[in-house]
Amino acid sequence: MKDLSHIRNFCIIAHIDHGKSTLADRLIEMTGTVSKRDMQDQILDSMELEREKGITIKLAPTRLVYEYKGEEYTLNLIDTPGHVDFTYEVSRSLVACEGAILLVDASQGVEAQTLANTFLALDNNLDIIPVINKIDLPSARVEDVKAEIEDVIGLDAHDCPCVSAKEGINIDQVLKAIIEKIPAPKGDDSKPLKCLIFDSHYDNFKGAVCLIRVIDGQVKKGDHILMMQTGKTFEVTEVGIFVPTTKEIPLLSAGDVGYVVASIKTIADVKVGDTMTSAENPVKEALPGYKEVQPVVFCGIFTVDGAKYNELKDSLEKLKLNDASLQFSPENSTALGFGFRCGFLGLLHLEIIIERLEREFDLDIITTAPSVSYNVYKTNGEMLEISNPSNLPPQVEIDRIEEPIVRTSILTPPEYVGAIMELCQDKRGIFKDMQYLDKKRVELSYILPLGEIIYDFFDSLKSRTKGYASFDYEFEGFQRAELVKVDLLLNGEKCDALSLIVHKDKAYTRGRELTERLKKIIPRQLFEVPIQACIGNKVIARETISAMRKDVLAKCYGGDITRKRKLLEKQKEGKKRMRKIGSVEIPSEAFMSILKLDEDK
Amino acid sequence: MRREISIYVHIPFCEKKCAYCAFNSFCADEETKNEYINLLCNEISCRSADFNSSLNKAVVRTIYIGGGTPSILNEEQISKVINTIYNSFDVYDNAEFTIEANPNSITEEKLKCWKSLRVNRLSVGVQSLNDKSLAKIGRLHTKKDALEKIKLARKFFDNVSADLIVGLENESGKDLCQYAKDLLALGVKHISCYLLEVYENTPIFSMIERGKYSPLNDEQTISAFHKLATYLQDKNMQRYEISNFAFDGYESQHNLNYWKRGEYLGFGISAHSFVDGIRLENAGNIEDYKSKKITTEKLLSLEEDEEKIMLGLRCRLGFDISSLNKIDIKKNPYFTQYVKDGILIISDSNQNLVRLNPLFYHLSNTIISNLFQ
Repeated sequence: MKDLSHIRNFCIIAHIDHGKSTLADRLIEMTGTVSKRDMQDQILDSMELEREKGITIKLAPTRLVYEYKGEEYTLNLIDTPGHVDFTYEVSRSLVACEGAILLVDASQGVEAQTLANTFLALDNNLDIIPVINKIDLPSARVEDVKAEIEDVIGLDAHDCPCVSAKEGINIDQVLKAIIEKIPAPKGDDSKPLKCLIFDSHYDNFKGAVCLIRVIDGQVKKGDHILMMQTGKTFEVTEVGIFVPTTKEIPLLSAGDVGYVVASIKTIADVKVGDTMTSAENPVKEALPGYKEVQPVVFCGIFTVDGAKYNELKDSLEKLKLNDASLQFSPENSTALGFGFRCGFLGLLHLEIIIERLEREFDLDIITTAPSVSYNVYKTNGEMLEISNPSNLPPQVEIDRIEEPIVRTSILTPPEYVGAIMELCQDKRGIFKDMQYLDKKRVELSYILPLGEIIYDFFDSLKSRTKGYASFDYEFEGFQRAELVKVDLLLNGEKCDALSLIVHKDKAYTRGRELTERLKKIIPRQLFEVPIQACIGNKVIARETISAMRKDVLAKCYGGDITRKRKLLEKQKEGKKRMRKIGSVEIPSEAFMSILKLDEDK
Repeated sequence: MRREISIYVHIPFCEKKCAYCAFNSFCADEETKNEYINLLCNEISCRSADFNSSLNKAVVRTIYIGGGTPSILNEEQISKVINTIYNSFDVYDNAEFTIEANPNSITEEKLKCWKSLRVNRLSVGVQSLNDKSLAKIGRLHTKKDALEKIKLARKFFDNVSADLIVGLENESGKDLCQYAKDLLALGVKHISCYLLEVYENTPIFSMIERGKYSPLNDEQTISAFHKLATYLQDKNMQRYEISNFAFDGYESQHNLNYWKRGEYLGFGISAHSFVDGIRLENAGNIEDYKSKKITTEKLLSLEEDEEKIMLGLRCRLGFDISSLNKIDIKKNPYFTQYVKDGILIISDSNQNLVRLNPLFYHLSNTIISNLFQ
């Protein structure tokens, strides 16, 4: 039987910006996995966007080999995203590990996601090693943070590694702790094959690539495998490991982390969380698997050039290959033409998808304001899930509407408690709990409507607490609320893409803010254009865009017709980002403006 | 029918450059002027050859000498230019022949000379009849000069036109109507009303930047223009083009030829020509002009259509939908909308003839560009 005592499977969990990717870089460097020449910052973040934004979106595994006390150890590291939108990615990687490094910034201390991720790790029975990072910073307060970890999280931190990933200080202590404190995997390579698929991605040449953790047994080229959930079988064409690029090896066996390629043509055949077993000799029981992720934020996506609908469709399909959480279905808007209603894990996820569509697929995108999905109960007993405000049935047909609510945990220095409470109050939050974690840290728990969170909660929280507060949330359920649809009329014509669902107490304010904002964004037209916000037939706010004053080239010097024509052609070109609602032209930015109402204040 | 063309001749010289002028004109000594006139005459005779072959013989319908300030040329210089035209081209006896003149350079001798050379139309750069305003924009004449010289010119020429600028500092619609009244009293038959356009790198631009000059704002300008237009139309002048007003029969044939996409030859620096569906532009500086540099552009069908729309909508007549080859204008939602909103007017007598509602002339750029494909 294979000796598993020299394998360690671990991941790094942390609040966003606490230095996960940098620590991963140092571990890779220190173990000589990547030569200095090939090394670059955030090496596991292969997407251009990840490097640019300094965030990790996809999890990425790599195998490190380290000699400790004369013996060689294989350390499988799985880098995880830190943003709350991608919590599900974190939880997936945790299942593939026996231990986790909990990285805490020495000046920021314990934050909302530090806690959330720790609980996730504990739920998965992982051994957790706290590591304090950024000790080189002048604002580092190592002893305080140690105390925080002990008091707030309840982990022993007295001899935890204190490092600077950036400067490469004390990285060997982290490696030592991994080997000494994280248990070796258990498993039996003589048993039938049993693997957890913890992620997958699509490769144009190889087809779907399954990222797996082998629990029992072994897998090699030529083996026939069975996906227990989908029931499909495939013949393995390649197995390998990540170093961190893919490297084919002859065999993966119990305890290993690696990949399997098996001529799988569609990514849909690979369900993340599924159990992969031998087709000839399958195990009886599958692994528990994952909860399927549900999108929580929705918006309409359209192209500025309406003719590019098919390109948009192809691009979304390509993105979906590597991002199972992205959902989309066709949508038709009178204002914006054909496009898609897309579902996302959160606003960051939404933002990333839009940026990737624009950058990687060279599309000019218009998005409508993000919305959540409401449960709408009709008087005839029917229940509709509505994520597009313009699909809301007429008021008379609605019995009640329920909105999604989330349980939020906000960690903040005590001086901002008042400001945060005010914010949560304003966002229709219900206070649940307040706890002093230590002298400098308070945890506030609120139940908040998700719709309010995606609107501008995060930005408001940051600005009211000078960036000191952090927050995390989890889905709680649905709750009845007095919600109404606000429609926007331009020159008397309804613009479906600008409709929104809001709480009735806020409808007037939002309607007014929105008409004011549109007045600023929409250029003057040939006629005076009234902008009205309405609930049903009732006008709740009104602004007027006055008519354009002057736009004429009167003179024609000595028959220079070409100059005139070119000026007009240029003017036409500048209009390409405009959409026409009846006789009114709207710049594409206007459709996102609903989101940014608070910016002007 | 014989091929008919128009001729434009550019005289780039001025006594003094006006504050708002972004055009190719400059001050020069007599030697420079003479040298330029030699080059110009040379160009006229050389390029005329193409239009004199038996197959393709062209006859000139209109001549326009513009600038700059052509009236600052002395009698000898202008005679040389005009005689070169006559020696090089067939010119109709009744051809419209315009010369641009500034009030301060008009003399009785010059008027006589022009008349003897068959010039029959004078376009006088009046711009304003407010002395303070004239001085501020760098014009060399006063109200008195302008009115006296027009009176004098009228002794020799029936067809006198005056230019006015709308949008100058402190010049309201009421002021402009008074100017028009004074001009019409002297028998002016045609008035061009141009909006003040401020270009970067002109003195007026920096004057405005420094707060030394404040032209009317857009709203005031359009309102002033509207008052003036109403006044002129009340006096029985026809707005036959976006910025031109004339009594019946006094429309500028030369300018109409531009709008109708008729052929024309332009001589002199930065002059434009349009022949055989090709637009040409002479070099803009003397050195390049000497070496006969010309930019040519063969219009694509789409561009021809754009021109037809753009030029047609400037005129009272409008454009003919059936003349378009590439642009399917009836499928353009803007077109439908504009017709519905009364911005575009379809002629009662010909369903293909579309014109711009004069109430929207001041927004013509937006409208025209939206009709482009």
